[in-house]
Amino acid sequence: MHNSFIARNPSVLWFLAALGLFTFGVTLLSEATGIGLISTSFVKTLGKTLCLCLIAIAMDVVWGYCGILSLGHFAFFGIGGYAIGMWLMYARTETIVLSSLAGQTIPATPQEISDAIGNQIFGVVGSSEFPLIWAFSDSLVLQLAMVVLIPGLLALVFGWLAFRSRVTGVYLSILTQAMTLALSLYLFQNDSGLRGNNGLSGLQNIPGFEATPQATISIIFFLASAFALGAGYVFFAWVISGKMGSVVQGIRDNEARVRFLGYQVEGYKLFIFTITAIVSGIAGALYYPQAGIINPGEIAPIASIYLAVWVAIGGRGRLYGAVIGAAFVSLLSSWFTGGGAPDINLGFYTIQWTDWWLVLLGLSFVIVTLYFPKGIGGLFDYLVRKPS
Amino acid sequence: MIATLLEVSGVTVTFDGFRAINNLSIQFPPTGLRAIIGPNGAGKTTFMDIVTGKTKPDEGRVVWGEENISLLGLSESDIAMRGIGRKFQKPTVFEAQTVRQNLAMALKNPRGPFAVLTHRKTAENAAKIDAIAAEIGLTDSLTRIAGELSHGQKQWLEIGMLLAQDPRLLLVDEPAAGMTVEEREKTTDILRRAAKTRSVVVVEHDMEFVRRLDCKVTVLHEGAVLAEGSLDHVASNQTVIDVYLGRGHA
Repeated sequence: MHNSFIARNPSVLWFLAALGLFTFGVTLLSEATGIGLISTSFVKTLGKTLCLCLIAIAMDVVWGYCGILSLGHFAFFGIGGYAIGMWLMYARTETIVLSSLAGQTIPATPQEISDAIGNQIFGVVGSSEFPLIWAFSDSLVLQLAMVVLIPGLLALVFGWLAFRSRVTGVYLSILTQAMTLALSLYLFQNDSGLRGNNGLSGLQNIPGFEATPQATISIIFFLASAFALGAGYVFFAWVISGKMGSVVQGIRDNEARVRFLGYQVEGYKLFIFTITAIVSGIAGALYYPQAGIINPGEIAPIASIYLAVWVAIGGRGRLYGAVIGAAFVSLLSSWFTGGGAPDINLGFYTIQWTDWWLVLLGLSFVIVTLYFPKGIGGLFDYLVRKPS
Repeated sequence: MIATLLEVSGVTVTFDGFRAINNLSIQFPPTGLRAIIGPNGAGKTTFMDIVTGKTKPDEGRVVWGEENISLLGLSESDIAMRGIGRKFQKPTVFEAQTVRQNLAMALKNPRGPFAVLTHRKTAENAAKIDAIAAEIGLTDSLTRIAGELSHGQKQWLEIGMLLAQDPRLLLVDEPAAGMTVEEREKTTDILRRAAKTRSVVVVEHDMEFVRRLDCKVTVLHEGAVLAEGSLDHVASNQTVIDVYLGRGHA
């Protein structure tokens, strides 16, 4: 069965080979495990890019295959990041507090330790109490479960309400965007329990690995991200192959027809919406320890819109298209906005890419949508001509 | 064998004050062909919408099968699973997918997401798909993308998808629209064969095609049954001539 799945989806094998080669190359060139040609910070950038590719394939499944233009998947990504960030911050602060209290002649009581940790984490928003949502933050296992459970449950409840009412198209997109905006605004508040606009920081320091250099940590996260992307790719390729793929694409192309065939369209949408939300959460949990910091701005609706732009530019309805779009556009974006691109002096006006990149991106999006609806991924159709 | 598979009685639907269906009562036996004709706005499509669960009537009953289940309040997918298949006026097949995929999706099998996710191809299903493809004359086109098919072939594919669902009642909306004479003959044959084991209801505009079907005819007018019987019988009815048939000759 597995053989036939690969045989029917040769692009999966090609993708895994390309990903493996890329991962191997980066490992050989990194500071920790190779000759040091790639700096640690660039390894982190590449690792983060792989996480963005992972959420992009999730977006492609929900939008490109199922036709739900969700503008909320970056919210699930952020929730995954917050969930892992809570443990990272708690565990690290606990280590620091314990070591600073270790010198005292009278051992500190558990209450004093807890207060000290709370003070360290929440002092910045004028509090020292642990909010209820931090109840499991001392347990890595439970917080890892949260990475999956919270985006999954949120998607399940939100999707159930939205799909049951048969909200579709633009209205659904607006609804998902409203959800994202509400979440982001809530997190900006100081009493949200997640440090308001400060967000969670110091996430690059992994508790228990204080002695391990960042170069090593970065390559480990890079490899983990590559593995997650590969696994996610195979998983989604499997989901959208075969009959499930038929039904899901049928829903995209003609929802009513699928319903009259006897399929409960809402159940299928909910399934796709929820599994893609979970994968987005996992991608976020891998992303933010590499970014080092997460704040509510990351969840703002614009992030989810970028996600849709990546997938559109890369090519909707093919998983590798989403990967190409996310990698290409996000790396290009950091090159342009990071001052990597040289300014263009027109004599009367100087184009500074830090300001003009968004204009360029918007323009490319319009051009791709109008003239190249298949995106960059569509170029592969010219390479691989189907025998007719 | 029950006498009535589907019974619609006293159904009324109003859209913004307009009575699309007005105290409509109509019955269908478990097998056989029936044609529903009527001028535009007679309520033919609304009637189908009610039976398939797309539109909820204001009044009336729609009763189905041996157990006399009311179809009102059931979802479209639920009604489809109980054995009512519908073909739309415009051929609506999944154009991005192959003929085989279209038929496989319609094939009577568990419809839940997890059953579908873990679905494996079986020889039994493949044989059923081959048989249906042969019936609708698309055996050579199984691997083609449905979007590439001709208009007539799309119509047949959709009828094939209906057959794959193995419904007890087939509602077919203008199957002959845009077809050539030969294609119409073939469509008539397919529908006649299907009607041997199930109830087939054809909503049609085209009198020539209805004549070819050679079956009981129900004339709808202003949301109610105007006349019923053989085509010659209804065609001789003066009211029918006035409201419908007369127009063609006027």
